[in-house]
Amino acid sequence: MKILGISAHYHDSAAALVVDGAPACAVQEERLSRHKNDAGFPIGAIEWCLDQAGLAPADLDAVVFYERSMLKFDRILTCALRAFPRSWRSFPQAMKNSLGDKVWVRGIISSYLGVPRRKILCTDHHAAHAAASFLAAPTRRAAILTADGVGEWATLTVGHGERRPDGTTNLTLLREIRYPHSLGLLYSTFTAYLGFKVNEDEYKVMGLAAYGRPTMVDRVRTLVRGTPDGAFALAPEFFEYQTTAARSYSSRFIDLFGAPRHPHEPIDLETDEGRRFADCAASVQQVLEDRLVDIARALHQESGLSDLCLGGGVALNCLANARILAESGFARVFVPPAPGDAGCALGAALYADRVYFHNPDRDVPDHPFWGPPVDARELARAAREDGQAVEELDDATLIERAADELAAGRIVGWMDGACEFGPRALGHRSILAAPHAREMRDRLNRDVKYREEFRPFAPVVPIDVADRYFDLPPGGPRLARFMSGVFPVRPEWRDRLAAITHVDGSARAQVLEREMAPRLYALLEAFGRRGGIPILLNTSFNTAGEPIVCRALEGYSTFRRCGLDALVAAPVFVTKRGSSRMKPLKEEAA
Amino acid sequence: MLRPIHRWVWGDADRRIRKLLAFAEVESNGGRDILRAAEVTPDPLLRRLYLAHAIDELHHGDLFRERGAALLRTRSMRLHGLFNGSPLPGGHGLDDLQIDGEPDHRLLAFLHVAEKAAAGRFTIYRQLVDDDPQTRAIFEEILRDEVFHMNYTYTQLSRVSPQSYRREVWRARASRLWKRYLRVAVAIANLLGAIVLTIIYFVLLPPFAWFARRAERRESLGWHPIARDRRESGASQY
Repeated sequence: MKILGISAHYHDSAAALVVDGAPACAVQEERLSRHKNDAGFPIGAIEWCLDQAGLAPADLDAVVFYERSMLKFDRILTCALRAFPRSWRSFPQAMKNSLGDKVWVRGIISSYLGVPRRKILCTDHHAAHAAASFLAAPTRRAAILTADGVGEWATLTVGHGERRPDGTTNLTLLREIRYPHSLGLLYSTFTAYLGFKVNEDEYKVMGLAAYGRPTMVDRVRTLVRGTPDGAFALAPEFFEYQTTAARSYSSRFIDLFGAPRHPHEPIDLETDEGRRFADCAASVQQVLEDRLVDIARALHQESGLSDLCLGGGVALNCLANARILAESGFARVFVPPAPGDAGCALGAALYADRVYFHNPDRDVPDHPFWGPPVDARELARAAREDGQAVEELDDATLIERAADELAAGRIVGWMDGACEFGPRALGHRSILAAPHAREMRDRLNRDVKYREEFRPFAPVVPIDVADRYFDLPPGGPRLARFMSGVFPVRPEWRDRLAAITHVDGSARAQVLEREMAPRLYALLEAFGRRGGIPILLNTSFNTAGEPIVCRALEGYSTFRRCGLDALVAAPVFVTKRGSSRMKPLKEEAA
Repeated sequence: MLRPIHRWVWGDADRRIRKLLAFAEVESNGGRDILRAAEVTPDPLLRRLYLAHAIDELHHGDLFRERGAALLRTRSMRLHGLFNGSPLPGGHGLDDLQIDGEPDHRLLAFLHVAEKAAAGRFTIYRQLVDDDPQTRAIFEEILRDEVFHMNYTYTQLSRVSPQSYRREVWRARASRLWKRYLRVAVAIANLLGAIVLTIIYFVLLPPFAWFARRAERRESLGWHPIARDRRESGASQY
């Protein structure tokens, strides 16, 4: 069967194609449209998926949308009614948003693709999260925990899944916590309060938390209290997201935590104000972790299973994931490379295949590389036309050459094969650098990524030696496969791994198996032969505010305008020549 | 014609900050659009020029952002909704630039017209911030770049479309006007829609609101079981 999964209309639109039970391709719309977190209908992603598989829309057996749009509308309308008359400002906008396109999604899909409406199906939003996590993980039986801002009504669900020996699949979500009680929205509220963009910058709160102390934990706990059945409830008087789209926290929230940070004010951690914001981040981070650990621990005791599959945007919180692994009792925790809404496109398609159509279970390849490939010839042509130094090298020479550049302290843009599905650069669209000096971190933040100086960088390390440098618990390498956990750097290595060691001594390591990215693995080995430590700093190949690059020319344009020294798309190796050509170009052209 | 409004905007420190920060977004977004043009054009010279142009625009965004933030630090204000958008024409703010699939001659004509308009406005703004030498210096720097942008787009337009470059410029002007009309029309439609929905809200919703709140009071906190039939039905949107 050929099943197309779609996520759209909220944030992070994507399409994924499942053919005969296994993913054929998947891509986020932002990678193609070049608009970060593109929420539009992912027509570019759909077209690419169909082209890639050589299919026409008529060949599809089903198209599956990642949520039940009328149920979501039911929630929006009910919440507007409950908040009457305080919701009068947000009501017109909410209705226009929903009635403008979101509730007509079946018709929209039908008109875009020309497929009959009977072929268009829906899944529960959290069922799509659960499927993306469980059906793509190398486990036969697992407990499932999904958490995000909100789907239709659910904000957090628990359940279990089983891939039986007879090929049938059972994926059961047992119970849910409903809007407005949401750990995702609690975190997003603090994201907005701290002056960051909601649904985009939550990871900055996580990075900032390491600079603070959880001095406001008691205050955060007044916002989110436990219920007798082991769930939680938010205190509504501190939030406004259920009544208005303009602000997510209330005046009482400000009374409790102080004035919010303006987005354009820099965070100066030397000042009291800067430290207050960091403490605030540390406090909400701790409360989030505590709640998730409690729920996961109860789920472990209830299910008696040793594996946990985590899904939903909250599963991007690597600190919480690591604590769940360490404290909940589960031996292994699986987080997919795209646990957020984009991943729901793949999850919805897999769910329909196994649950709606009862197709036999199949193992899903355990990697994130489902996107468009890089065309090295395109890079070579553009670079040559611009007078850059271009070499075409065999694989061994290219890897040695890249290792030389990295060992010399240069920063390399690295493009290899199909791009990643999900928000992490896991070795196919990465910026790589030596991990040793703190100056490298500052240089990358300042000259390459153009982002805040408090932001940490992640390392990539071969699985065979990961334990030597990082304090990985049992199950740690699995969680670190897609950069989903934060672990301590062993104290004796922190000085020599200063660029990737966060202020609290931790790192969001990617533990790499050779089979997943053989070229990057070989590069790590080559780099290790030069400096003794086979670890590289690995950050996403983009600059602030832009999606990760997808095609060769996008990597090339990023390379041209930021502080990258070299760009690799095997077999092409491009070294930057001075930007002095810009001035004569301007004079000549004008 | 809009000079009195410009004077009103730039004469007030808070509005000036909001305007600078709005310009920062507009210039950065414009820069990203032009960057996209550099990535998709098949013409090597245009790729280099678009790239230089995009770098300029992104730099302008940074200049506006830094200046806005610096002025913000001197004031105790907290900016909220009303003027976070751009109330006046500025940069590429009123143009929905479509890059993918747009041929180079159309894009060059559009950029030429947009840059010329922006240069005209920035000249006015420069005069209106005489009391603020640092902001004025930013406008002066940007104006120098705009001259390059205007010139190269026109020169290149005449290169890639020697037969019809004048017609392309007029077409771009007409397209700009049409897009402005559409923006205004959409804004009016939005306003009318909001008025109608607000009336519905206050006239029709109160009894339903009463029922909804009553139902909410009965709803328990904590876990809710998930019905089995819901997860097995792919056809229902409920």
